[in-house]
Amino acid sequence: MVIEIIDIFLSGLLMGGIYALIAVGLSMQYGVARVLNVSHGEFIMLGAFFTWSLYTYCNINPLLTLVICGPVMLLIGFVLHKTLYRSIRISSGGGAAFEGNSMLASFGLLFVIQNMAILIWGASIKGYSYLAFPVNMGGVIFPANRLVTLLFAVIISVAFYLFLARTRLGKAIRAAAQDPDAAGLMGVNINQVLALCFGLGAMMAGLAGTLLSMSFRVQPTMGLEYTLIAIIVVVLGGLGSIPGSFIGGFILGLIGSIVSAIEPSLSLVAYYMLFMILLLVKPTGILGR
Amino acid sequence: MLELNNINAFYGKVQSLWDLSLKVEEAEIVALVGANGAGKTTLLNTICGLMSPASGSVSFLGRRIDGLTPHSIVEMGLSHIPESGRVFPDMTVRENLEMGAYPYHAWKMKEETLKQVFQIFPRLEEREGQLARTLSGGEKQMLAMGRGLMSRPRLCMFDEPSYGLAPKLVLEVFRIVNSLREHGITVLLVEQNVRHTLEIADRAYVLENGRMVLEGSGAELLQSDYVKKAYLGL
Repeated sequence: MVIEIIDIFLSGLLMGGIYALIAVGLSMQYGVARVLNVSHGEFIMLGAFFTWSLYTYCNINPLLTLVICGPVMLLIGFVLHKTLYRSIRISSGGGAAFEGNSMLASFGLLFVIQNMAILIWGASIKGYSYLAFPVNMGGVIFPANRLVTLLFAVIISVAFYLFLARTRLGKAIRAAAQDPDAAGLMGVNINQVLALCFGLGAMMAGLAGTLLSMSFRVQPTMGLEYTLIAIIVVVLGGLGSIPGSFIGGFILGLIGSIVSAIEPSLSLVAYYMLFMILLLVKPTGILGR
Repeated sequence: MLELNNINAFYGKVQSLWDLSLKVEEAEIVALVGANGAGKTTLLNTICGLMSPASGSVSFLGRRIDGLTPHSIVEMGLSHIPESGRVFPDMTVRENLEMGAYPYHAWKMKEETLKQVFQIFPRLEEREGQLARTLSGGEKQMLAMGRGLMSRPRLCMFDEPSYGLAPKLVLEVFRIVNSLREHGITVLLVEQNVRHTLEIADRAYVLENGRMVLEGSGAELLQSDYVKKAYLGL
């Protein structure tokens, strides 16, 4: 019984780490850049395929891929915002019209990226084996790669939080999230910062994809499920709150593993139930205002 | 130092500024007074880069700045303290002040500037670690003013700094604005509190329906029949 509880708790944390990472990424894109990026999961998928390809064809260590994948995704996200979302922002005149139009554009992006991935990698399920040896933790056995995933998810999230809390650029990002015009008056180049935030969101997704690929299957259509989870976590944690997304990720991971222990097919149902209840009872989330 | 020539600006499709010209010389306190909706805020937003004029020119320190983005205008030494302060609610008082020193040249000296700002606003030092959202209205205004000074500006523009404050705090705000002369900071002050404003202003402009209707020294305008009748209720 005790072992079962530890098992449920740990697998919740292991999943929660990934949820936290992808939700923090979406939180950057929606909370600051105001783009509800429905194609968030596609960036996770790209990160996963990127890692799979490098491991399968070049034998590059997935943990090393983190260092390559992060900057590449950051750049892709940055350029995407500078071109696509910037022109939507100008043509829609900002505000609610921009939020609607940019979400539609990201739907388009979802299909473009997904189909490009099918063209490049094919539609079949892929995977590889890395650090798959079992680790015994107090009677509960997990593959080592799951633990490494959690460790890196936490390290990346905490490092990112410190970046936002301590550095000059991080403070500029927080200021831009709270009042973009006032941040501009302080000397912050708003267009750069919004693009950077979108890029950072894509980077988090890419890193999550790299970590996921070590223990989960990789396929071009894997993204949407993660996007939905990220949206739920962001709402759970409170819109625009980075610590909220982080904590929310772990809460959702734990809920998922508790429900899976009872009936594995019900975990997604539980997520959506939670989402609906949350919107009805506390739409501001745990740390939102 | 700051010169506006024949500015025309639109708010949506409605013209809100008509052929406006204005000059602020180094070390002056220049005031812009007028009723609600006269175009005062539009004018300041046009200067600081939040809006662009449809025609006319804005120059600061001899360089054209109309059409530049707000961040590059701040970097030149023109600080704008917007209406109702607009402090960052979820940042601490100290973080808000640090944001004010965002331009590189100011960031390098931020500890030193912070000391000077704390001297002007001792209240902010007491509240250093508090979130800005928890401050009172007066404290928020002080924070906005302190934050505006953190970029070490040559010229400061204030948009109704005394709005909504208790009478005692109103006096305090005017005293502080007046004291900026000693720090070598030029001021362009927008206010509805016409009497106090004209008392500290070297020169003033009266704006009505987007047009300049009167211009003169603070003392002259205080004595003018027009101002007395329209704004001082005498």
